[in-house]
Amino acid sequence: MLQHIMLVAAREFRQIAMTRSFWFTLLILPAAFGFGPVFSRFLDKSDTETVMLVDQSGGTVGAALRQRIQLDEQRAALDALARYVRRHDLQKAAPDALWAQPERWYSDADVARFTAEGGVEGARRAIARVSREDAEGFKAPEAGYRVVEPPASVVRAAPGAIDKALEPLLHPGEKSQARPIDYVVLIPRDFGASPAVRLWANGVPRGAFVAKLQTVLTQELRTRYLTANGLPPQAAVAASAIGPAIQVTTPPEGSGRERVFIRSILPLACAYILMMSLVLSGSWMLQGTVEERSNKLLETVLACVSPNELMYGKLVGTVGVGLSMIVTWAACGAFAAYATHGAIAELIRPALAPVSSIGSVAAILYFFTAGYVMVSMLFLVIGAMSDSMRDAQGYLTPVILVIMMPFTLLVQAVLRGAGGVGVEVLTWIPLYTPFTVLARLGSGIPTWEVLGSGVTLAAFIVLEVWLLGRVFRASLLAGGGKRSLGQIAALMRRADA
Amino acid sequence: MDALRLQNVVKRFGDFTAVEDLSFSVAAGEVFGFLGGNGAGKTTSLRMVLDILRPDAGTIAVLGRAPGRGNSALLGFLPEERGLYRSMTAIDTIVYFGRLKGMAAADARAEGKVLLERFGLAAFAKTSVDKLSKGMAQKVQLATAVVNKPQLLLLDEPFSGLDPVNQGLLEDEIVRAAKGGAAVVFSTHVMQHAERLCDRLLLLARGRKLFEGTQDAARATLPVEIHLAAQRSPEGLPGVIDAQLRGSDGAWQEWTVRLQPGHDPGDLLEYCTAQGVTLRRFEQRRASLHEVFLHIVGGEAR
Repeated sequence: MLQHIMLVAAREFRQIAMTRSFWFTLLILPAAFGFGPVFSRFLDKSDTETVMLVDQSGGTVGAALRQRIQLDEQRAALDALARYVRRHDLQKAAPDALWAQPERWYSDADVARFTAEGGVEGARRAIARVSREDAEGFKAPEAGYRVVEPPASVVRAAPGAIDKALEPLLHPGEKSQARPIDYVVLIPRDFGASPAVRLWANGVPRGAFVAKLQTVLTQELRTRYLTANGLPPQAAVAASAIGPAIQVTTPPEGSGRERVFIRSILPLACAYILMMSLVLSGSWMLQGTVEERSNKLLETVLACVSPNELMYGKLVGTVGVGLSMIVTWAACGAFAAYATHGAIAELIRPALAPVSSIGSVAAILYFFTAGYVMVSMLFLVIGAMSDSMRDAQGYLTPVILVIMMPFTLLVQAVLRGAGGVGVEVLTWIPLYTPFTVLARLGSGIPTWEVLGSGVTLAAFIVLEVWLLGRVFRASLLAGGGKRSLGQIAALMRRADA
Repeated sequence: MDALRLQNVVKRFGDFTAVEDLSFSVAAGEVFGFLGGNGAGKTTSLRMVLDILRPDAGTIAVLGRAPGRGNSALLGFLPEERGLYRSMTAIDTIVYFGRLKGMAAADARAEGKVLLERFGLAAFAKTSVDKLSKGMAQKVQLATAVVNKPQLLLLDEPFSGLDPVNQGLLEDEIVRAAKGGAAVVFSTHVMQHAERLCDRLLLLARGRKLFEGTQDAARATLPVEIHLAAQRSPEGLPGVIDAQLRGSDGAWQEWTVRLQPGHDPGDLLEYCTAQGVTLRRFEQRRASLHEVFLHIVGGEAR
């Protein structure tokens, strides 16, 4: 019996492995990872927005806005640098530097000091004394805004003509190569006496940009008001700049919400890969079974192997195809980690944490394989009941929809770190158990739930193979078109099938 | 030991009885025709022999054993509805089925090459089935049936869809297998093939056996027809049912005479000679199997 099963499985595997779609699917994931960064370099659209400051009030307000933008860019760079330094344990490069200190919210004074000490380049030089590789490895975040100078025609434009003057800048013609300006801020001549300013945006403005603008302009207005009411200018400036010193306490990197996200990456990827490879290899197997039926092959095969041997052989072959895809993808990942001198491994190390125990690995393997057998059995029976792929689609579409629909909700719930009744219920519905347990491994799932749902799933598979096996056997040589649900249920009840 | 024996076999599908109380046996080296019209129960019977279907009653012995895949090493089967894995090559197809029948891969490959050579397909051994003509694919399928040199070869409507050249090739293979000691059972409703090949035959209608025996015995169920030229009417002679005058040439009259079933024409000739009935011509017309089939099955066919 075993020899027949393995022969059928090997033929099934070979048939699928000979198809172009198998190789395309097998290689597309590594290719996407390999070429993705290269393509993204060409395709990536910069997120930096252009800002044009038109200050008709004398220039101080425009200068203040420009300074605020630059300070915020430097703060973002300092923040990213500090996180990089902590992740790579580089504090010893300059223990007194701002970026070497525990995480905090950097004040304007801090950022000014960072800039004065050389900014990112200064930090790189310091780090290079400890590790040249790490110094070159840091990439400062892309600037959020780029300030561009306004053309003279805009600067000199009368209040009634400025809209017309800005039109070609905000909405250049289709034939024009120029990029549209994202924001234009007009500080009118009477700013101070009047609080009005104008903002043109090339779309819905970012909330952060408007907040930035509002902060600077409020400070300016407040300073002018205080000065006008007798406060010395220096005191007025200081009063306008008064703000709380917020000390930020965050969990260590890779913990808290971030922890849930990072730890869920690999389990979620497993669940997703299971889903994708299942649908693909299941479809291939289904095509093979439909071919056997439509080519009138089955009688010849059944003269040599029993229906059960044929069924188990096909299941083993399909699981083999799925696992070979997983192994190939994992091998490509390992190769990439090796080829990049461990840089990727370093990145995914926190993601590997939830699957580093033998129990976790065993759970992944078990639910992966069980999920394969469970869903492949459905595909197999659909193939056995269908004379053509068109017939098969009639069964297949609702089955795939039912399997896939809750998956998106599941991913979102797991990433939010929310268990919830929905996720709990999905864990115990055998059709969703493999995906749900795999997805929950990162965010934490009690051992008793893993064991309990695993046993339930095993019992369900036994029942499924028993009942659907009857449908499979009864359908192999039967004709007579598409079966109704009632007829399928009747076949399940037939003990002689 | 019989290569195949069925005893009182019954197969029902719901209220419909496909095979009813069927018994027959086939000896080694014998070519056995399993004849019947569409829906007579031929394919159902063969499927029971192969254990694809289980009988509701009766017993089946295949080479002395109960039906089952354990016998596949000794069986060859060519189904009525034929097909192959389209993406597999001819030789791989033969090897695959050889291995399913328990052969070692190397033996199946070696025998497969011999068969492809014999069938004129050696140059197409590594061609995938979807690139072969229909006739070539049918020969490949025949090769999958005989690759294991079966002791019992079951052929379900083997000649359907074959051109005359391939029909001849298949007939040669049937004769070759029987000479090699295999029992060959083939179902057909084309009587010419049965007439050329069968040692014995079984006529089936509505799942019931109507006749089993040799071709001569089958023909004996029909009245013997004799064409004779005599100077007087043969009516009244022993065994004669009736006589029809066909014409005359002077004193000689041409008659068509029907003898009672089972009556030996030689006895009539001997009687005429002894009694001085002058005959200028005495020809026995041999009934075709087609006529026998129509006679026996006649209104029984579904």
